[in-house]
Amino acid sequence: MHMADALLSPGVGGGMYAASVAAIAISAAKIKKDDLGESKVPLMAVSGAMDFAAQMINFTIPATGSSGHIGGGILLAALLGPFAGLLALAAVLVIQCLFFADGGLLALGCNIFNMGVIPCLFIYPLAFRRVLSPSPNAKRIWAGSVVCVVASLQLGAFGVVAETAASGVTELPFSAFILLMQPIHLAIGVVEGLVTAAILNFVYAARPEILTSAAFGTRPQSAAKTRKPASMKKVILAFACVAIVAGAALSLLASPYPDGLEWSMEKVAGTAGLEAGGGVFESFAAAQERLSFMPGYDFAAGAGTGAPVAGIIGAAAVFAAAGAAGLVIRVCKKKRRAAGAAKDA
Amino acid sequence: MLSNRIHELYVLEGLADNDTAIHKLHPRAKLVVTFAYIVAVVSFNRYDVLGDVPFFLYTALVCGIGEAPLRTLHKRFLIALPFCAFAGLTNLLLDRQVAFALGGAAVTFGLLSLLAILLRTYLCVMAVFALIATTPFQGLTRELRHLRMPQIFITLIEMIYRYIGVLIDEAGCMSTAYKLRSVKTKGIAMKDMGSFVGQLTIRSFDRGERVYAAMACRGYGGEFPEMEYAGPKPGDILFIFLLCAAFAALRVFPVLDMI
Repeated sequence: MHMADALLSPGVGGGMYAASVAAIAISAAKIKKDDLGESKVPLMAVSGAMDFAAQMINFTIPATGSSGHIGGGILLAALLGPFAGLLALAAVLVIQCLFFADGGLLALGCNIFNMGVIPCLFIYPLAFRRVLSPSPNAKRIWAGSVVCVVASLQLGAFGVVAETAASGVTELPFSAFILLMQPIHLAIGVVEGLVTAAILNFVYAARPEILTSAAFGTRPQSAAKTRKPASMKKVILAFACVAIVAGAALSLLASPYPDGLEWSMEKVAGTAGLEAGGGVFESFAAAQERLSFMPGYDFAAGAGTGAPVAGIIGAAAVFAAAGAAGLVIRVCKKKRRAAGAAKDA
Repeated sequence: MLSNRIHELYVLEGLADNDTAIHKLHPRAKLVVTFAYIVAVVSFNRYDVLGDVPFFLYTALVCGIGEAPLRTLHKRFLIALPFCAFAGLTNLLLDRQVAFALGGAAVTFGLLSLLAILLRTYLCVMAVFALIATTPFQGLTRELRHLRMPQIFITLIEMIYRYIGVLIDEAGCMSTAYKLRSVKTKGIAMKDMGSFVGQLTIRSFDRGERVYAAMACRGYGGEFPEMEYAGPKPGDILFIFLLCAAFAALRVFPVLDMI
């Protein structure tokens, strides 16, 4: 479910970055205020690393022969609390993006939102904590985990579809994409929910205080209840902010994207949009339109074949030149190093 | 298998200790340029394959000068491929309008967009790898601090990065033990996953507490002291300026499209 850069437009990527950074900032501020804040940092770090390691363990899904791994939004939120859970998960996503190409750099905002903000800041406080209260037990953990993981994955998958559609890179119609993504993630969600429930139940049986303190704070139940309304208000306010930012960003950026015939029109408009400078730009744009190997809108009507061939040859030349340049640099460096080594010896 | 992943994780960091012209650049310069590059690459029209082609120069040159091991990076690039390839293939199937004819064969818009997606995936992934392979991780996190990202989040990224190795090691030991005690299993059975990861969780919580105690003993109070920080030099500013200008120029005046 990690989104890649190539399917994203810069506008959508930037908007989702803003939403995710806001959510991270709110969470960090929340934890800082918490009196347990600093002692939690190593715990969060080790849990994040644990999630990373757990994602690498493939387990076999019975009767299917396939294998799966866990994602961990609800798991981390249940172990650490929603805000700390989000920070840990976001940090894991940053590392996966940088070192494993699991999700693109521009898509990082989308990925943090879909896989971290949704489970930790929406599903966890709205559903998971409610199911667990007033005090967790095995049944509640089973029900809460499965329902919440399924809900998170459904919303996350919907996020992927919405962000991709708003970017307008894929041809897949919105409805078809939804029909494809939601059932797949329903199946994944059920499996991940069951595994998450099993993990949480194991942890609860061995160390019940981990789950209770994450869900209700360290204070005893009655005290937690008196404290809850005030903090809940702030939480809702925070969500509202995130939702507004996200909604505004999405609606502003979700421009109608062109279909096959309109694309070259948009291309011309796209370059014309940058020409605030005036004369020079205008003439360049005009020249480009004249020179462009796909100038009009009439390919379907059958334009010449000469121009595209030239373009492809040009592209091949650039690839070859760039590749050769890289290679030459490498060989030169190797030679120089060999010479240096010889001198040393 | 799991130990391979640890090696995969930290091998890029080893590369960052090299000493080439690219490595000498300030992390901020490389971060800004990488972002500008990705934005320029993905901002092209979705059928515009040729516009993106000149951007290949950047990754080729940076990987060349920075001595990044292409085989390792290409192998890792394959991880990013499946989802994009799938999206591209649906475009190929759904968008069958003919864009132009090429030597008798019709080239559809779907094919163009498939090529564009594959090329862009490659360029974006390689740009990030080129950044990571030539920049120490600490340098990058320090830049994030200077961008005023929350202190606690950056500390978390640094610590998770360090602990992943430890935790994967631990998971690897447990997984080996599990395999030795069971017959003919490929992975962990789903019914055992709860106690397996649960055990790992409890171990990591205990370890987290010990780590905190150790850190508190050494004076940790929520924030790490900032080490000496040298800002970008004029050369770095020039690098940012030149490359961003080049990307903008290639974006506004796609050379190959004009042929």
